[in-house]
Amino acid sequence: MWRTIQRALLIVLAGSTVGLVTNAISPRGIPYIAPPTPRLQASDIVPFQEVQELWKGGATFFLDARSPADYAAGHIANAFSLPVEDFDQYYPHVAAMLTPDSSIVVYCDGQQCDLSHRLMVKLRALGYGHVRALVNGWTVWQTAGLPSHRGEQP
Amino acid sequence: MKIVSLLLRLALGGAFVVAGTLKFLQPATFAADIGNYRLLPHEAINLLAITLPWIEVVAGILLALGVWRRASAAVIAVMLMIFLVAIGQALARGLDVRCGCFGTVEARKVSGLALGQDTALLAVAVWLVWRERN
Repeated sequence: MWRTIQRALLIVLAGSTVGLVTNAISPRGIPYIAPPTPRLQASDIVPFQEVQELWKGGATFFLDARSPADYAAGHIANAFSLPVEDFDQYYPHVAAMLTPDSSIVVYCDGQQCDLSHRLMVKLRALGYGHVRALVNGWTVWQTAGLPSHRGEQP
Repeated sequence: MKIVSLLLRLALGGAFVVAGTLKFLQPATFAADIGNYRLLPHEAINLLAITLPWIEVVAGILLALGVWRRASAAVIAVMLMIFLVAIGQALARGLDVRCGCFGTVEARKVSGLALGQDTALLAVAVWLVWRERN
């Protein structure tokens, strides 16, 4: 019994050590302690009523911050995929269509989802001045029965 | 019973090697998945995202190889219990989060299915711990 516990602790220790070392040398490494994410301000959020008008107006870009797989499984019609986790890879495809003055709505899924928020922070840092987030976007959109598409990026 | 236990060790150990590998390949995604479960303080999330996948891999390899069987099965059992609590509370609170169980290859959300899978794996792990006593 005691020997099993000792060995189990050794396994945990060994795994943790490999993880900590690997993270330090890996190009995909992440900070050991994440910097706090700033909270969404009221002005960062686009109300659902308004978002429908923006969508009908057709002049607003809708960007899906979720993974490409989630996007392919279903997304707001005419939205483009810009997964925040693979931002550098996908951004060039979207960048050609955008100008700093473009009206942009970002969304992900779930009340607690912070992907759209993180995407908004990234886009603003690149100079886009009119980015707002639709909270719980995909769920809200679907629930309202609004047009959606399936499939990969057009 | 020997062959059954061998097959179960390979299956359970293999599952953990795969699950751990998929997670350590995308640490940022896994950290986000952990965060979405809303269980841990902000400061602990990345540390767990960095260490947990490798604990899964090390325990999985040992179990599959038959080294320190009881200890590696016990570590896996404890991890499965923790996952069970995490998934259970996410379901109970109605959180709409990605499971994160096998990295992003399965984009599925936490569900009763994930709970059932976890329970089945836990039963295997507990049986192995029991079997390898002495």
